Amino acid sequence: MPETVFHTEKLVKTYRTGGAEVHALSGVDLDLYASELTVLLGPSGSGKSTLLNILGGLDHATSGKVMFRDLDLTVQSDRALTRFRRDHVGFVFQFYNLVPSLTARENVQMVTDIAPNPMRAEEALERVGMSDRIDHFPAELSGGQQQRVAIARAIAKRPEVLLCDEPTGALDSSTGVQVLEAIREINEDLGTTAIVITHNAAIQAMAHRVVRFQDGNIASVATNDTRIAPSEIVW
Amino acid sequence: MHALDKKLLRDFRRLWGQSLAIALVLACGVMILLTAFGMYRALDDTLAAFYERNEFADVWAMTEKAPRPLLTEISALPGVQTAEARVQEYLMLDLPGRVKSATGLALSLPDTGALPTLNVPLLRAGRLPDPQASDEVMVNEPFAEANGFEIGDTFEALMSGQKRRLTITGTALSPEFVYAIGPGTLMPDDESFGILWMPQAMLASAFDMSGAFNSVTLSLSRGAQEDQVIEALDTLLEPYGGTGAHGRDEQASNAFIATEIKQLKNMATILPPVFFGISAFLVNMVIGRIIALERAEIGLLKALGYTDLHIAAHYVLLAGLTAVLGVVIGWVTGGLSARWMAGEYAQYFKFPYLIFNVSYDAYAISGFLALLTAAVGALRSAMGAAALPPAVAMSPPAPPRFKRSLFDRALAALRLSQPSMMIWRSLFRWPLRAAFSAIGLSLAVAIMISVGFFSYSMSSIADIAFNQSNREDIVLLFTKERSLSALEDIRTLPGVMEVEGELFTPVTLRNGPLEKQLSITTRGAGATLARSIDEAGRVVEVDGPGLLITTRVAEVLRLAPGDSVEVEFMSGRRETYSLTVAGVTEQFFGLGAFMTREAMSHLTRSVPQISVANVTLDPTEDDAFNRAIKDTPLISGAVRVTDMKASFDATVEENISIMNGLFSVVAILITVGLTYNSARIQLSERARELASLRILGFSNWEVSYILIGEIMLIAALAQPLGWLIGYGLGHLMAASFASDLYTIPMVLPPAAYATASVVVLGTALASVLLVRQRIDRLDLVSVMKTRE
Ligand SMILES: Nc1ncnc2c1ncn2[C@@H]1O[C@H](COP(=O)(O)OP(=O)(O)OP(=O)(O)O)[C@@H](O)[C@H]1O
Ligand SMILES: [Mg+2]
Repeated sequence: MPETVFHTEKLVKTYRTGGAEVHALSGVDLDLYASELTVLLGPSGSGKSTLLNILGGLDHATSGKVMFRDLDLTVQSDRALTRFRRDHVGFVFQFYNLVPSLTARENVQMVTDIAPNPMRAEEALERVGMSDRIDHFPAELSGGQQQRVAIARAIAKRPEVLLCDEPTGALDSSTGVQVLEAIREINEDLGTTAIVITHNAAIQAMAHRVVRFQDGNIASVATNDTRIAPSEIVW
Repeated sequence: MHALDKKLLRDFRRLWGQSLAIALVLACGVMILLTAFGMYRALDDTLAAFYERNEFADVWAMTEKAPRPLLTEISALPGVQTAEARVQEYLMLDLPGRVKSATGLALSLPDTGALPTLNVPLLRAGRLPDPQASDEVMVNEPFAEANGFEIGDTFEALMSGQKRRLTITGTALSPEFVYAIGPGTLMPDDESFGILWMPQAMLASAFDMSGAFNSVTLSLSRGAQEDQVIEALDTLLEPYGGTGAHGRDEQASNAFIATEIKQLKNMATILPPVFFGISAFLVNMVIGRIIALERAEIGLLKALGYTDLHIAAHYVLLAGLTAVLGVVIGWVTGGLSARWMAGEYAQYFKFPYLIFNVSYDAYAISGFLALLTAAVGALRSAMGAAALPPAVAMSPPAPPRFKRSLFDRALAALRLSQPSMMIWRSLFRWPLRAAFSAIGLSLAVAIMISVGFFSYSMSSIADIAFNQSNREDIVLLFTKERSLSALEDIRTLPGVMEVEGELFTPVTLRNGPLEKQLSITTRGAGATLARSIDEAGRVVEVDGPGLLITTRVAEVLRLAPGDSVEVEFMSGRRETYSLTVAGVTEQFFGLGAFMTREAMSHLTRSVPQISVANVTLDPTEDDAFNRAIKDTPLISGAVRVTDMKASFDATVEENISIMNGLFSVVAILITVGLTYNSARIQLSERARELASLRILGFSNWEVSYILIGEIMLIAALAQPLGWLIGYGLGHLMAASFASDLYTIPMVLPPAAYATASVVVLGTALASVLLVRQRIDRLDLVSVMKTRE
């Protein structure tokens, strides 16, 4: 039995805007295992990002329980969550979110500056095939290249979990494939637990497990017996 | 270097224009603080040192003639530490190569041949006169320098009607004459007024003062009550024609410097807070905007595990860099200007040395205040940034909500063009920001007005003093009071056209517990040369027994026409009368009170007397007149009103244009700081909006109109407020300058307001136009592609 990295019980998140209450998550029970690559699928507004934000310690749950190994995230202070993010989590976002005034290397160094056991920025960039663009500013990189720098930044701290919210959402298929390759390699080579949100059903084929969301809850969980390489994915 | 630090430096470089604009305003505050504080300290320290080392006296008193033995009694008064008696006389001087006469204040040196024990002259060159010599003199250094005298040079002095040739044996500086001002003049003039230290024996024999004195100075023991000593001294001197003792506060030189020191202190405390306040607002505005733009980056930093403290510090540091730039500029310019000011002061104040301690604490305080200002300005925004929840920071900010309000309906009713509508809407969406900008700009206007009024006030002062009140060309000072027949002697001098006499009588005016020592000026009825002018510019004549007083006297003694005032004569029979205030007259220099000759002689039951003669001259006979008065025994000095007016105008013009220039620069810097930053922020907030308009087919200038329009609208709205604050600030300044030495009227013609507004509006327009260029360079495609 593989180690459980994330464990949620009756996880609820409600947003209150104006008078109305929105149940972004309504009682999610989920286990995510070490070294697993999980894909989260589901229609827009079904609560995927909300879940990812809570797992990554970016947001608080309204009720229920979230465990990261032995750490109960629901009772942690902001300060402790910051520490948790710094030590254990790598994020990749749809809109890359690079700091425009820093080069590729410096963007990665933002993480290596504060992480406890980071790899060198150059090594992280090499892993995503960006060695030759190391001193470029974000404005001088294509979308796919920017996203790969973002992944390098996420993995440079050797995180235990890599959380990716629509990493290919803004990319065409061939650059998207490059980015997915990078994620898969990290997952395989470093054993990093990876969770990837996508709208693209084709991508599920590269996952160990596929979790489907619907209206703030899990509709189904499926295990892929055979996985295919990102390069074989077409969309 | 950490990646975050690199971001900091690059952000700072990207924002250099805005940072510099803020830094310059901050630098102004630092510079003024440093200059005023540095000068204040320099003057205060130097004065204190000079006073202490050279035994500056605590109390002065004059008598007509008191016997030497009285000094023992004076020394024995409780509270007196040292008492020193001397002979003091004004002499008419005839300097080689100078047609015009000069005036000397002769002070006796002790018989022992030693220096006096109080008000010790500091020997600068040569030696003291021999106590036995009858032709030796030591002069004050500035007098020697102004006239090009060397040790051994000679000049002539008229002593009791006898001309004597005196040889200069040395030069000195005295704590009593740091600001050396001659009798009847407004400004120091070292060429025509000198201090002459002479042997006691020689002065005493010339002025019939053997075994007597007419001036006494005291130092007090620690803890002594000055007013009690003065009272006791007055009682002792009264039988000998004492004219009333006074302390340091009424010693002319000291009073002038004290006024100057007070003004520097005011400047150091009033002005810098204005600059720091505006800087804090600017920092707040700019950092707030940067943080709004960088929400996503802040969220990212948080997601990556940067702490709140890290993030807050990052933005506070960004402001800190600006502050450092401002502090460096302020320190450099402040250091230079303090030194320059010290040089300027050296022209007016004759110190033997200037203790210009670089006051590290002033540097530290100004630097600290500037950094604090930036931190305060940045803190709220930075804390806000740190408080952003990481998840929320990841999503783009919700578009600002524009609500339809009553105001909108009003705007709609006006049928404004779409761009005009955008200007008004934006103004009302950030009313606080608009209000702060307007207040900042109004301060710029106010600062210009509050200083600009000086030049108008000064011309008004000069006009009233010289063209209306004192219309004589020259004032001849008599050695002592004379009868009216002396005027006939004057009339016979070459070139004299009109002559009128005046009498100065030292008195103490009292109204209840309030009292002032001053001189009553007595004039003949219908005098046309020296006259009194009221606030409305009309000539005021008193007929009857009443007393005319100046506005300042009316203010300090709380008197109004019709009130009665107690007048104690400090000379002659020393009687006390109660007189009625007949009117109030405008006079900006010193304190004054006026009576008619008839009223005075009736009151004192004596024949009319005069102590000065006002004269108008035929200009072609100027030289003959000047030569003649040097040999006229009854005259001890001549004050040239025309020269005084010229030197007043010159001094005022120089000082005022420096002040005006300085404060225009200050107003311009404030305006640039505010408008440049506002425009940059407007542009960054509206880049998309403006680009959309361009894509819709609006021209560059139509789009620019929105940017320029909003800023200029705020600037225009700021003007009336600026005028109001300027008016108030001007009054405050005038009031803070007012002293018994001089008062400054508030004269603010529309031109003063207009100048300030033109400068500020012009600068604002130039600043926006500088930013407007960026609209031409707006890359429509990339603007529309960016996330925000
Ligand atoms: N800050 C918020 N305030 C209010 N409601 C929110 C907020 N964030 C998310 N929601 C709501 O919560 C629900 C879930 O949002 P979430 O972002 O998790 O959806 P998602 O599955 O990631 O959708 P998408 O695929 O479009 O990114 C949605 O209905 C959304 O409107
Ligand atoms: Mg989402």
